[in-house]
Amino acid sequence: MDIFQYILPVFSPDVLLVIALGTLGGIIIGALPGLTATMGVALLVPITFGMDPVKGLNMLIGIYVGGIYGGCISSILIKTPGTPASAATVLDGYPMAMKGEAGKALGMATIASAIGGLFSAVVLATLAPQLAAMALRFGPAEYFSLALFGLTIIASLSGDIVKGTIAGMLGVLLSCVGADPISGAARYTFGYTGFAAGFSFTPALIGLFAISEIFIQLESIFEDRVSKVSVAGIWPSWTEMRESAGTLLRGSIIGTIIGIVPGVGSGTASWISYNESRRASKTPEKYGTGHMPGVAATESANNAVCGGALVPLLALGIPGDVVTAVLMGGLMIHGLAPGPLLFQEHPGVVVGLFTGNFIANIFMFIFGMAGITYFAKILLVPKKILTISIALFCFIGSYAINLNVFDLYTMLGFGLLGYGMQKFGFSQAALCIALILGPMAEANLRLGLLNVDNDLIRFCASPITLLFLALTPLSLAWPILQERRAKKKAAVAKTL
Amino acid sequence: MKRFASGIAAACLAAFCAGVAAPDALAADYPARPVQIIVPYNAGGGTDLAARVLAQTMEKYLGGTVIVRNQPGGGGSIGTSATAHAKPDGYTLGTGSQGPLVMLPQYGGIDYTINDFDFLALMGRNLMVLAAGKDAPYKNAQEFLAYAKAHPGEVTVGNSGAGGANHVATEGLGMAGDLKLKSMPFGGAVAAITATLGGHIQSVLAHPPEVATHIKAGTLVPILVLEDDRIADFPDTPTAKELGIDFTWAAWKGIVAPKGLPADVRKKLGDALDKTFHDPDFLQKMKEMGEDIDYRPGDAYKNLAMKDSTVAEKVIRAIGMYNMNAKK
Repeated sequence: MDIFQYILPVFSPDVLLVIALGTLGGIIIGALPGLTATMGVALLVPITFGMDPVKGLNMLIGIYVGGIYGGCISSILIKTPGTPASAATVLDGYPMAMKGEAGKALGMATIASAIGGLFSAVVLATLAPQLAAMALRFGPAEYFSLALFGLTIIASLSGDIVKGTIAGMLGVLLSCVGADPISGAARYTFGYTGFAAGFSFTPALIGLFAISEIFIQLESIFEDRVSKVSVAGIWPSWTEMRESAGTLLRGSIIGTIIGIVPGVGSGTASWISYNESRRASKTPEKYGTGHMPGVAATESANNAVCGGALVPLLALGIPGDVVTAVLMGGLMIHGLAPGPLLFQEHPGVVVGLFTGNFIANIFMFIFGMAGITYFAKILLVPKKILTISIALFCFIGSYAINLNVFDLYTMLGFGLLGYGMQKFGFSQAALCIALILGPMAEANLRLGLLNVDNDLIRFCASPITLLFLALTPLSLAWPILQERRAKKKAAVAKTL
Repeated sequence: MKRFASGIAAACLAAFCAGVAAPDALAADYPARPVQIIVPYNAGGGTDLAARVLAQTMEKYLGGTVIVRNQPGGGGSIGTSATAHAKPDGYTLGTGSQGPLVMLPQYGGIDYTINDFDFLALMGRNLMVLAAGKDAPYKNAQEFLAYAKAHPGEVTVGNSGAGGANHVATEGLGMAGDLKLKSMPFGGAVAAITATLGGHIQSVLAHPPEVATHIKAGTLVPILVLEDDRIADFPDTPTAKELGIDFTWAAWKGIVAPKGLPADVRKKLGDALDKTFHDPDFLQKMKEMGEDIDYRPGDAYKNLAMKDSTVAEKVIRAIGMYNMNAKK
């Protein structure tokens, strides 16, 4: 088998070292709020110019994989999503940490990330050319229907359906700020060019989740006591693993598929996976209270996106997100044009990247599991100091993304909004989902209608569009159906 | 009282002299402190990387530190505005890209115009090619023209974003050729190209490196280029001019300064940039990064920018986007 001739070079010590460094660096970048995997990859691209392509690109893949994973650490420990990919992990990860199960939450997040990552790595290595065709099936109408379907998650996630809908609608409205996607006209910017591109997403998320939490902490900051948070073991028990098994598989599949569809991203994948896990669960009411499968769902999905996103990149030359766009730049600099020809002309590079992706996931698992006890030490810091340090980090992180003061206003504004929402029982998750999917739905609806001259029949003609449009009302009705079934069951139990 | 008045007069005179003398004193030992280049885009992007390599090389010829500062946002208008309003002392320069210089001021709501800059050096141009998907109803330029004439408003042409260079170029091509093209603004070039590959739209107006792979693989077909002459990447693809459509367009970027640089500082900068763009190491690095260098000194750069500004204004007025963002 001459395939080994391509695999073996990846196992040479210098390549392994570079992948390990990349992965570790990625974890740190991901864990720091405001520093994202995208930024890490972008800043390190020039370093890889001088390297052998397989080595240099595998380092970038390491940063990518590590960065997407690293975001969960701050999500779980300090309720601050390190990257947008980990925003959904806040939902169950942070309550677990508050219950004294920070170690287990991080342990499950690490295991889930590794399983998701390895699953998609295997899919990438075996089925890339076959699956890549799927990426091309998505046009504006398909993206719109996928986004619409995604928005229905709000119905089942937000608890109070009226307040959830209000939060979701508000999110869609807020995402209208900035340049109109079709005409380019500035909307609701009130003449401030700083908002011309709309609210920056990461500062908005940091505000929504972290700053609002800081405001809540401030209310009780003087009752200072070191919260007795123990790390309490890092390995989930067998029963817990079995409970999460279906979720892990589902998350991995959802993440891989979403990864293959260009431009959707790991944030969407983790929300959809979380919702599907909850829907399939026998105990959906436990989600959001520190339930382990909740963490398994989001983290398996967002890391599965990494391998998925490499499918259209390598097989078609289509980068699905900013990170893979930068990777594509890295390939081109070495004279390797991604696409169908890459597999024929440079099988060594393709196999080398497949192998490197696999190894990066293994390193991520090792570093993650080994680091948990150290990461969790952050909870032993007195609350006063921790709260102030988090606030500081939020400011630095939000500013560092674009060096734009408007991002700080965005962060503070969303912080106040998040605080108010939490006080009055509105779902921050609903707002977050709407911020991700609102713009995707709007731009693609309008593009799609423009494309077919506003002919709705032609707009809905493709099978993928029809599938998602049909799933949308089902998904909306699901919470009602479930409630009715639960009531019926209770009634039956009573009569017995 | 008299003494007081003359004291004031003396002070004014001293201040005036200092004011006049200062630039000369500064220019003689320019650069006395680090020179910064404002990049109005994110760190790690194409313009940023090119500017960083340029800064590195320029230090050698300017004899001082040159640093890059990223000030992204507002489609490049925030950083470009910072360049326009900086003190014209040669310590603040900026990368001057077509979008923020030529296009954005036409949409209104921007606090600078193209006349607020001194043009120092054009760095490079990004050419434009119209490429069709393999299932599009046209396979070459003649078929494209015939189809567009026969089916007005049915030719879908994707571009990288509303109001951007590729959007304006599509509309300009349509106007010059009297074709009714349906311009489809996507969120970035990749999305537009992907939609073309998937057959959701017929064609896309893009830069050659963005579509070269797909053209090589046969999944996209080059239709025409928007240059004066055919381009090296696609020697068999005609120009719009060959088809009788008098329209050329390319995006570009260069180095600009706030208007009013002292003449000797300007000369020093111009010389340093001239040497930089003839530095073999620099050219090699840019080539590796996939940047097409098309160096033109200040005046030629200014002419190009002014010409594009006039064309862009005409197109933007015609499609009703002129001054749409102005405060009312």
